[in-house]
Amino acid sequence: MTKLFHEIRDPIHVFIHLNWYEKMVLDSRPFQRLRNITQLALTYLLYPGATHKRFEHSLGVMELAGRVFEVITKPANVTDEVRELLPDLGNPDALSYWKQVLRMAALCHDVGHLPFSHAAEDELLPKGWSHERLSRLLIESDEMRTIWKSMVPPLEPEHIVKLAVGARKAKDLRFSKWEAILSEIIVGDAFGVDRIDYLLRDSHHTGVGYGKFDHYRLVDELRILPSFDGSTEPALGINGGGIYSAEALALARYFMFSQVYYHSIRLIYDHHLKDFLSVWLSRDSLLSEGTFPTDVEGHLRITDDEVNAAMRLAASAPNLRGHRPASCIMRHSHFKVLYEKNPQDAKVHSDPGAAIANAAEIEFGTEAIRYSKPRVKNVAPDFPVRGRDGRIQPAISASETLSKLQPTSQEYVFVDPQLRAKAKSWLNNNQDTILAKAQREEQEDEKHEADPKIRPTHPAEP
Amino acid sequence: MKQTQRFALLTLLNREMLRRGSWCGETHIQKATYFLQELLGVDLGFEFILYKHGPFSFELRDELLSMQADQLLELAVRQPGYGPTYVPTSFGVTFQERFPSTTSRYSEQVQFVADEMGNRGVVELEKLATAFFIVDREGIKHFERRAQRLVDLKPHVSMAEARWATEIVDELIAKSRQVSLREIEEDSA
Repeated sequence: MTKLFHEIRDPIHVFIHLNWYEKMVLDSRPFQRLRNITQLALTYLLYPGATHKRFEHSLGVMELAGRVFEVITKPANVTDEVRELLPDLGNPDALSYWKQVLRMAALCHDVGHLPFSHAAEDELLPKGWSHERLSRLLIESDEMRTIWKSMVPPLEPEHIVKLAVGARKAKDLRFSKWEAILSEIIVGDAFGVDRIDYLLRDSHHTGVGYGKFDHYRLVDELRILPSFDGSTEPALGINGGGIYSAEALALARYFMFSQVYYHSIRLIYDHHLKDFLSVWLSRDSLLSEGTFPTDVEGHLRITDDEVNAAMRLAASAPNLRGHRPASCIMRHSHFKVLYEKNPQDAKVHSDPGAAIANAAEIEFGTEAIRYSKPRVKNVAPDFPVRGRDGRIQPAISASETLSKLQPTSQEYVFVDPQLRAKAKSWLNNNQDTILAKAQREEQEDEKHEADPKIRPTHPAEP
Repeated sequence: MKQTQRFALLTLLNREMLRRGSWCGETHIQKATYFLQELLGVDLGFEFILYKHGPFSFELRDELLSMQADQLLELAVRQPGYGPTYVPTSFGVTFQERFPSTTSRYSEQVQFVADEMGNRGVVELEKLATAFFIVDREGIKHFERRAQRLVDLKPHVSMAEARWATEIVDELIAKSRQVSLREIEEDSA
């Protein structure tokens, strides 16, 4: 007899339950490919346990998304004010449909990831492409549409896309209030289950304990609440009783970014990997020129396995293309930190790392220097909190801990290890001069600023 | 426009809004920047989409975060129970003053936005920005149809409020012609 429900063991959530349709997605080629895409790129060279894959993370996101949906739509947890704003909350058929859409979106949210996840995305995809756009392509592919159509009731692919990638990455789609809330469940800055799962899972596999927090309490206290700013727009918020779990989530994120995701060694391995991939992609006739393919079959063909095999080969002989970055990775001989941003330097020049990297490239050559400025992350985004008296207030006002957590920006300049001693000495002697010169140049640029652009259109007078 | 110049202009806008009594929460900054770019034609390079509180830019949200990380801006809790306020730090003010050409070039446009938006709350800003989005981006010209479209997009807005917002937006468009960097189409309606 066909099994209608399946359970999968998971180190974070113990059991993950799937229905028949979700099992069909699990068995599809786009999803099975995620078994060969590492969650944290080459982080395993730094934290050896971090070999986990997007596959199990995606299952975890689905499990959590379902749990959050149950909590926030439970009639006892919904106020009349919110029910009026979101009529779907009072319609059992609509709720059943959207719960399934949400779980499918959670399952598919990462299917567009390139080999080694984020490591090479910005520069190794054609302009205008991202892993979210590739996820959308796959969700709307013929193979996946067959599954969506076979379901009872059938799911609308556009609904799955909206919830899987969110408004930031689907700007051409208009989100209803309800869709915006549901997409927040997956990709939201404050309580997105994508980040809840990756913090817990990455913490578990890296052995870095900071990423753990009481997610059971957190999920249990989530609610759809009216905004605190006078607008009636609803948002994903939390009951006052859950504020400590929310603080723990923000702290986990803060520590995981500083200790793992933006660790300098991880950042330099991303560079070496990108250097290798740009060579590898431009020489393989099966692949598009210098970038990853953006068609369904091309995307499904390449995983970490193909890249690893090519890197191992390239590292074996100096005459092979991509040898240098491949051997940096395979032989663990990465570039070393030459400069790390100091907040005082930023007061002299707005981009001290870039100024030092430019000067170092002139001194030591572009092949010997790498510069990294990872995107600033919001560790403590604001969200509404409902106090015991029913009053809604912003988290930053309800929690002193959250109000103190500030975003930080990091910059690193790396140098070829063979030149490290020489480069350090050079920087000690020249850093002040380099920054002062960069500041003068910035001021010169400001003086010679060109005339403002004239924009071509303006709405006609009605 | 370079990021540093954008930082300087956003700092100036923030200061001018605060001077006019604006609460300067994220929504206030989002809508003021929207008008600065889309009505006054100061090309900051942000992409605005119609989202939960009307026109919204994720890129601007990232930019404000970067400014916080670079210690140019900070979020201050002014009154318990209310949303936080963006306030330039003393370094932010010094930083802005390093870009006198950029800030003086766009000063008129910034002053216009601060004058018109600085004393408005979130609810009004949301209505006005959405009403402007309708005429600017959706190209609807007929007054009643624009008001109706606003009600359709924001069901909590009454028809009377929508007409008010549409009227104010028409006045803003007319007044902005003196200082807007956008070329002005002649009325073809």
